[in-house]
Amino acid sequence: MNPIDPRVHQALDGEIPRDTLPPELRRQAERLEAVAALLAETPAIESVAARVMATVARPAPTRGRRLVRWFVTPHAIVLRMRPLWSVALAAGILFLAFFPVRETGPRLGQEEGVAQFVARFPDARSVAVVGSFNDWRPGSIPLEDVDHDGIWRASIVLPAGTHEYMFVVDGERWVADPLAGRYIEDDFGRENSLLIVRPTKR
Amino acid sequence: MDSRSDLSDPEVVARVLNGEQEAFGILIRRYEPGLLRYAARMLSSRDLAEDAVAEGLVRAYRHLASCRDPSRLRPWLYRIVANRCKSYLARRDAGDVSLEEAPPLADPVDNEAAVEQAEQMALVQRALATLSAEKREAFILKHVEGMSYEEMAVVTGERVPALKMRVHRAREALLQALEEHQ
Repeated sequence: MNPIDPRVHQALDGEIPRDTLPPELRRQAERLEAVAALLAETPAIESVAARVMATVARPAPTRGRRLVRWFVTPHAIVLRMRPLWSVALAAGILFLAFFPVRETGPRLGQEEGVAQFVARFPDARSVAVVGSFNDWRPGSIPLEDVDHDGIWRASIVLPAGTHEYMFVVDGERWVADPLAGRYIEDDFGRENSLLIVRPTKR
Repeated sequence: MDSRSDLSDPEVVARVLNGEQEAFGILIRRYEPGLLRYAARMLSSRDLAEDAVAEGLVRAYRHLASCRDPSRLRPWLYRIVANRCKSYLARRDAGDVSLEEAPPLADPVDNEAAVEQAEQMALVQRALATLSAEKREAFILKHVEGMSYEEMAVVTGERVPALKMRVHRAREALLQALEEHQ
């Protein structure tokens, strides 16, 4: 684009007198003014006065009616995006097409299964499960009582095989799972609950 | 002649707001020619210009109470119609409406001067259509509608220095387009 001499802009903005411009610059200013004069001619368009007055004489549509009309009228949705972002978006869509996300839960290996712990401790403030799978460390696998009905639950992925475990209630009371069905005596003379995890079928 | 046409804009606005609905006709007669011209130059279509101005004026009537400074009613009206024009231009960009319209042709019985003027007008319209909507609006408001930069700021919502720069760029782009179309 050819920049116009700043004096032309100043003259057109009325900041300097027109006759101070040299002839070639004055011609540029006059050319633009001639264009403006042509455009300033009122085009042959019919008056909309009657249409407007007829419309305003009718009661304004209610908010609900305007909403309905908005929903049934076609609207243009213009999405402005830099080309770089559109390329990135296309790459993302292609990636998802070729590598779809198939699973949303924990990923299971071929030799793993899901163990579900359920225990009823109506007055407990906290319940955790400890066992051979977490080196008997209390607190690392807490159970949750979402409904506050005294039933505590947790689901975790464990290696397939046999695991010993106990519940730790309120951080200090170790309790065997009364629903376990299988128990084994440990080296300290206590009975641990026994859990058998089978690999998940695929 | 309507004796009320001597009333100032704030006086007419006050009458309309007091329930004198037909007083709005004074404002239409006062500003409609400029608004139609502005919309026609922006949209390059007589039909869409009529629609934009009609919709804009109805909207202005319904929201007249929100015009905080009735002494500056003219740029307020232009702002409303300008927004309608932008809406149509956005729909054109989306292919929803067509704004293409054949340039005005001179009637065969017109004299030579009229034919030449029609050709000049077609040339100018084509050059104007090559400008971006923002530059086109800036040039029209400044040079066709004869607004001050302060009035343009009310219409566009932009600051005066930005508008000055936009008008400068519009002049340069228009001169270049005219040279290319000649």
